[in-house]
Amino acid sequence: MGAPLDLFAAASAEGAWTVSEVTRRARAVVEAGLPPLWVRGEVTGFKAWRSGHWYFSLRDKIAQIRCVMFRNDNRGLPGPPADGTQVFAFARPTIYDEKGEFHLTVRELLSTEQGGLWKLAFEKARAALFKDGLLDPARKRRLPPFPRRIAVVTSPDGAALRDIHAVVTRRWPIAELVVVPAKVQGEGAEASVCAALARVARVEADVAIVGRGGGAAEDLWAFNSERVARALAAVPVPVISAVGHETDVTLCDLVADLRAPTPSAAAEAATPDRVEVLGHVAHLAQRLARGLTQRSQRAVDRLDRTADRLTGAIQFRLERSRALLAAHGARLDALSPLRILARGYAVARDADGRVLKRVAQLPEGREFQLRVTDGEVAARVQPTVPPLHVVERGSGGEARSGGEAGGEA
Amino acid sequence: MDFGKQLERLEEIVRRLEAEDLDLDAALKLFEEGVERLRAAREQLAEAELKVKKALKVEGADR
Repeated sequence: MGAPLDLFAAASAEGAWTVSEVTRRARAVVEAGLPPLWVRGEVTGFKAWRSGHWYFSLRDKIAQIRCVMFRNDNRGLPGPPADGTQVFAFARPTIYDEKGEFHLTVRELLSTEQGGLWKLAFEKARAALFKDGLLDPARKRRLPPFPRRIAVVTSPDGAALRDIHAVVTRRWPIAELVVVPAKVQGEGAEASVCAALARVARVEADVAIVGRGGGAAEDLWAFNSERVARALAAVPVPVISAVGHETDVTLCDLVADLRAPTPSAAAEAATPDRVEVLGHVAHLAQRLARGLTQRSQRAVDRLDRTADRLTGAIQFRLERSRALLAAHGARLDALSPLRILARGYAVARDADGRVLKRVAQLPEGREFQLRVTDGEVAARVQPTVPPLHVVERGSGGEARSGGEAGGEA
Repeated sequence: MDFGKQLERLEEIVRRLEAEDLDLDAALKLFEEGVERLRAAREQLAEAELKVKKALKVEGADR
């Protein structure tokens, strides 16, 4: 039973390699023999992983090689290559230990079809624009919320203009569309778009859309021209670009204040929705009315309060006056000579109305008026009779009455 | 007047009317202005026909 074990032990001791050792050695040989190089081939079986790494194969008519392009290397590219794209890849051949697989670690990828050269030009232009600060996010301007005039730089008979027209008609027909015609593809497109962009400044628009409709096959070359990008950056109002498609970001997209995926989306971004604005205006109307009502209610309340205070103050005054009047009346009444007469006193006065207060004013025989409580009587001072000599009944009473009158007056 | 400015002024009027303790006369004046701006804004919004103008000819189209 120990023999097979020995056999294996012996074989191992004689130098059988482990799998890892083989792949490691193979990797060393490949990497030493094949330094990083440019490979030309067709992309096939492309797959982008969530990690951002790309996996695909490069092939020609006879052979194919597995390739990986890591995220750090591919994120500078405008987009993933479609299967079937002819490319130049700058790659390092190696062995992937875990699968024992020969593959290329791709560091750079260029399309061989027009785009290959184009990409170099693109990168150079982008660097130049970046250096001049034209790609600075702080440069991006805010779109006007209620545009009066929208300039549209596009082909006058293209789908882009039709789409923009439809959206603006639906959302914000208050605005005016000014079409600035341009040839957006083919010969002369670059100069035509530049000239149209320059003209936008003269139409006094609030916002501009640079649009290009149509399929993915159309070439974007004009919108990747550095000259056009600079002309776009020079437009004095915010510009929305609607020229690229989903994967290709053009230089114009980078310079524009907003990049829209389609001309319709650009028109949506450029305009408010009239229905929403009408709603807002209706709301403002309500608030305006309510604001005034509240303000006038406050005024009415204040007026009411003031009136209350006024009435209160006047009433208080009135009552005080009434009380004062009553008090004065009582005092006046108490002081009235009529009251004194009522108590039984009488006033003696001469014919001129002078009050006769002293005995000297009342000589014998003097006639005077005597005022008693209910009227006047005429009176005369009787001759003085010695009281001891003539004591007559009745006359004594008379004398006493006269004396009384004289004494009291 | 530009619609955006119209609306901005209207919003300001409403805010002042709601927030500030204006004297009644000033409040009434503001309200009157607000009504006028409302009318103008609604009139502008009622415009239904999109105007399209073409700026000159296609540059370089026939090259």
